Amino acid sequence: MRRVTVLWFLIAACLGVALFLVKYEVQDREEKLAALHREILSNQEAVHVLEAEWSYLNRPSNLEAMVRRHLDLVPLDTTRLGQIERLPMRLPVLPGIDGMVPGVGEASLADASLPAFAPPPPLARPLTISAKVRQ
Amino acid sequence: MTDTTQLRAGKSVRLEGVTKQALDIGRNRLILAGCLLTLGFAAIAGRVIELSALRDHNEPAIPTAAADAALQTGRADIVDRNGMLVATSLRTPSLYADPGEILDPTRAARKLTTVLTDLHATDVETKLRANRRFVWLQRNLTPHEQYRVNALGIPGLHFMDEWKRIYPQSALMAHVVGYTDTDDRGIAGVERAFDDVLRDGRAPLHLSVDLRIQHIVRQELAHQIARFEAIGGSGIVLDANTGETIAMVSLPDFDPNVAGDMSPDQRFNRATLGVYEMGSTFKIFNTAMALDAGTVTLRDGYDASEPIRIARFTIRDFHGENRWLSVPEIFKYSSNIGSVKMAMDVGTEGQKAFMARMGMLKPMSLELPERGYPLVPSPWRPINTMTISFGHGLSVSPMHLASGVATVVNGGIKRPTTLLKTTGRVIGEEVLKPATSEAMRKLMRLVVVDGTGRNADAVGYLVGGKTGTAEKAGGGRGYARKSLLSSFVAAFPVNDPKYIVLIMVDEPKGQKFSHGYATGGWVAAPAVKRIVERAAPLLGVAPVDMDAPEIRRDLLVDLPDAGGKRLASF
Repeated sequence: MRRVTVLWFLIAACLGVALFLVKYEVQDREEKLAALHREILSNQEAVHVLEAEWSYLNRPSNLEAMVRRHLDLVPLDTTRLGQIERLPMRLPVLPGIDGMVPGVGEASLADASLPAFAPPPPLARPLTISAKVRQ
Repeated sequence: MTDTTQLRAGKSVRLEGVTKQALDIGRNRLILAGCLLTLGFAAIAGRVIELSALRDHNEPAIPTAAADAALQTGRADIVDRNGMLVATSLRTPSLYADPGEILDPTRAARKLTTVLTDLHATDVETKLRANRRFVWLQRNLTPHEQYRVNALGIPGLHFMDEWKRIYPQSALMAHVVGYTDTDDRGIAGVERAFDDVLRDGRAPLHLSVDLRIQHIVRQELAHQIARFEAIGGSGIVLDANTGETIAMVSLPDFDPNVAGDMSPDQRFNRATLGVYEMGSTFKIFNTAMALDAGTVTLRDGYDASEPIRIARFTIRDFHGENRWLSVPEIFKYSSNIGSVKMAMDVGTEGQKAFMARMGMLKPMSLELPERGYPLVPSPWRPINTMTISFGHGLSVSPMHLASGVATVVNGGIKRPTTLLKTTGRVIGEEVLKPATSEAMRKLMRLVVVDGTGRNADAVGYLVGGKTGTAEKAGGGRGYARKSLLSSFVAAFPVNDPKYIVLIMVDEPKGQKFSHGYATGGWVAAPAVKRIVERAAPLLGVAPVDMDAPEIRRDLLVDLPDAGGKRLASF
């Protein structure tokens, strides 16, 4: 009987200590979690401020002024736009001249006074890329 | 223990019965109490298990709530169709003082004004001497200012964080986005229209406006206003097939970041709130109405040689051809006489019903509080029918006009105009026959190829449109001949319209380089041309070969009697 009581007291004491430890561990972790959340929030706020600044710096008028100052870009007019279907035909692959640009090899074989890039004979099939690929 | 009980039981039977009874009662009560306690503990244990293990599969509720906590800015962002910020809320420090803690108000005020140069030392000093515990000194400081104020080291100055609405695009989106008051309540524009949504939501509000196109339209419009010394103007780009507003500009505009400083003229939204007699651009509707009603075909025409006299008015053509004109010619030369005759054949009731169907008699369906109510004649007399045929006597907002033109050219389907980004097909209501829409597209192309709108011909983009030059109603009765409202409304590419562009310039003055003209063809058409040229690559509209046979065939108008090629400037 005495032994049983001692056993129960031991168990109760162990549980008490364990509970104490777990409680403080949980408290500690909750504090860490809250700190992390605070950090996430402050980071989100910093990102938010940076987004606003990014938008401000990316104002179209600002970009335009910077492009004018630093780059040689000009407005795109229709003469600079074309369709892939309208490209000239593909250059023929000449047999026998490996690793050389066709036309150059041709010209070097012929007279040196001729222009180096003689227009190649057109191929039967024009180079086309389907509309799906272009997008 | 049992031995003694048996011993006693053996000695006395009577006693045994009493003891047994007492023992039985005691045992029963003990069992009952034990059962109750067990039940109680079982219930508590069950509840503990339920709370800790079963509900939501996890233990405490607090971490769940904390994990979801995202940044709350008090008011949701507004972004354009590509996700660029148009309006956002930032936390800014506001400076206040506790005069009780200030040791030397004069010195503090002097030091403070070296950092915050907007403040006056005397004002600050009076505030710091006030017999209160709280005075605002300056709201919404920049981080740099906050740092410098802190560096002064004056005791009694404190900061309080406040949310401030910031518009990174400054004046660019002024009339679309509107602005808020100091308490973050929407006052105008989208801020007002979606006040509830913005205040509740965290998700940004996606507008249909494209900032790049908005910038182009604003720049070109401002350019024309400056060149022609005009007092203002508006520019609109609509998606012809969804009703989305790609750009909406009204000049002069304002910076919503400092909304308090603006004049009433700057605040006035000419694109949606202002209603104007739009002039000849209304002939698009007049011609569409007659073609749709079947009273004329493209091969019919009217005698436009004699001015029409009714009551005290005389309706004449500005550069009259003085001969019989076919319907395409009436549209091309912008003949008022021909337009009146076309409208009279349809009749007053027919015209009223048509305008109602096009939505010209009601405010727009648009997500803005600034929506103008059209000025509709009442009663609608035959004289009104006549004047409305060439765009006078019925005042609508430029947005009405743009949306109506979208309906005319997109196959006759009326869709509500919107400022919100939409995805997928927009259901519309068919108000015109597809054949009418096709004929109108050809006629609008004709105006640009060989009519009053030649200045709008952006090479490769097949612009089709109509010029308009209205005389503004003067102070008293009658019209002021010198104050004009010059506009150009266009659709491109006109063989399959994707976008509508409208430019309207308010009171342009004739200039030397324009030979004194301030008409739609001189003022608005060049702006439309440049807008189309600059915006089309961004909008994904590819240029086409305008001489390709299939395109020529699509837009061919068979003129019954293509006589002289003289141009009307109207």
